[in-house]
Amino acid sequence: MGTEVTVRVSEETPTWTVDPPWKTKALRAAQATAEILDMKAAGGTVTVRSNIPTGFGMGSSTCDVIATIRAVLNACDRRLPTSRIARIAVQAERAADPLMFDRMLLFAHREGLIIEDFRVRMPQIKVVGFAARPDPVDTLTFAPPRYSLWEIESFRALRGLLRRGAIEGDVEALGRVATASARLNQRFLPIEHFPRLLQIMEDSRAAGIQVAHSGSVAGLVFDAADPDLARKTELALRGLFRLGISQTWQFSTEGDDERVPEP
Amino acid sequence: MSAFRSREPFTDAVESTVLPRLIRLSGGVYAAAFQLMKLMPAQFVLRRALEQGQLTEETTVIETTSGTYGLGLAMVCRRLGLPLILVGDPAIEIHLRRRLEALGARVSIVSGQATRSGGIQQARLDRVARLRARHPRSFTPGQYDNPMHINAYGRVAELISESFRRLDALVCPVGSGSSSTGIAGFLRLLWPELVLIGVDTPGSVLFGAPNGRRRLRGLGNGLLPKVLDHSLFDEVHWVPAGDAFEMTRRLHAEHTLYMGPTSGASYHVAQWWARRNPGATVLAVMPDEGHRYQRTVYHDGWLRREGLADVEVGPEPLEIAHPGDLQDVWSRYPWRRRTRREVVEAVEAR
Repeated sequence: MGTEVTVRVSEETPTWTVDPPWKTKALRAAQATAEILDMKAAGGTVTVRSNIPTGFGMGSSTCDVIATIRAVLNACDRRLPTSRIARIAVQAERAADPLMFDRMLLFAHREGLIIEDFRVRMPQIKVVGFAARPDPVDTLTFAPPRYSLWEIESFRALRGLLRRGAIEGDVEALGRVATASARLNQRFLPIEHFPRLLQIMEDSRAAGIQVAHSGSVAGLVFDAADPDLARKTELALRGLFRLGISQTWQFSTEGDDERVPEP
Repeated sequence: MSAFRSREPFTDAVESTVLPRLIRLSGGVYAAAFQLMKLMPAQFVLRRALEQGQLTEETTVIETTSGTYGLGLAMVCRRLGLPLILVGDPAIEIHLRRRLEALGARVSIVSGQATRSGGIQQARLDRVARLRARHPRSFTPGQYDNPMHINAYGRVAELISESFRRLDALVCPVGSGSSSTGIAGFLRLLWPELVLIGVDTPGSVLFGAPNGRRRLRGLGNGLLPKVLDHSLFDEVHWVPAGDAFEMTRRLHAEHTLYMGPTSGASYHVAQWWARRNPGATVLAVMPDEGHRYQRTVYHDGWLRREGLADVEVGPEPLEIAHPGDLQDVWSRYPWRRRTRREVVEAVEAR
């Protein structure tokens, strides 16, 4: 899956158009980028071609927006720091996934700010993804969760293990954090079969379960370096099938534990 | 905050003291050694109350305590510039009282006369009510009732989850219940199978045992605090004063860790659990340091006078069928994550 954006900049008319016309977030991203580049007189056309399903929490709109920002920058032969691109993305779509970064970090998706930068790439993780709910969720009409004070403090425990998991490339630890976060999200966007999914996670000895916090996808995550990986994913697929989930997506993160230099 | 940050000086003495040190003692036995554990909820609850506008600089903080929670409040109130009144009983330790007063706290002692009608606890609560009436702008943290005290322990859970690849069991001395309920509740999100072992003492009613005189202060309770969530506990141990004092001394003599007697009780139970579960990792919460106990726990003459010198600590606890059967010996009961009501009703059904 992927997104490709073509941008044609015109100095003659200060209007921007997008194709398909309903990709208004991409349109806003082009306008915002041109403004930041001090090209208020410029306009242009944005053509978005994407095969990422929308509304499932797969980051489709963030892909559109980041690709658009990068295309405008390319067209104008300009560069911006990634943290700036993140803020434009949030300005364009109000809540953005941190796909513009190439490393693990904790990102405030409605503020566009990095809370904690682990400065490492993600370890190799195998994901068996599936739709955990039938209907798509619109991030912007979905009210942000009102966490209790206990829940807010519980994030500290999650961050402790996340830090360890990130720095050591420990997929088991990262899986536990994802599962804990999924448990907390049950109060806000419950998945009907969650206890059974947890059972499949245990039976297949997956590292954890990850759910979209404003979307309908979920995934069982595995350590891609596990010699027993094939058997575990097979068990997971069988468990999901018994639950009536036959459509799954399997993919792996690239995997690179090298420390990345300061941005 | 980045994971790769260089170290920097603490900005405040309270901040430098608030987190425990995690120490490997032997094999799979670890300690979470606090200088003063109660500093953590004191700091957290007062900060949140300030943020939420329940507390301003003109508000008087009023709390009933004769123990370390008062010291925690006094330290935090001094740094925040808040007036503090602590209601205590005549048994308050003189050195602690001096320290509280040096930190600017007013210590209000309930006299012997006032305690005759309804007991010392009630007399202290009555005094708090009178003080609150006199100070219309007051704030009472309420360490036994206010669930905000549980939330204070998120920082400890973070330290633990960052430091341990795997943790099998947590041993917590229980007094108000806020540290055990807090730490274990947060960690169970990550490790649902984590075994929580509560350490109580004979005479305490926390886990359904008969009320009586407690010789080990700072552990257990004569009343039932609202912040304690019984359903988190897998098992409960009752450690008598003599065993706790002996193990406190051994903790110092063998590991050079100079802690108070509730830490000795915690160490005792953690050692036992580690012997029974080879290869497993157990963390014992240790709430305060030994300096306050130089004239008691660490004093041979005092131990002899109390009849608690040279206590033989047995290798195994007495397994009891119900908390109601508890005697003044080290005992264990499988609580199995039940509510207090479920356990107490089980005795009535017998």
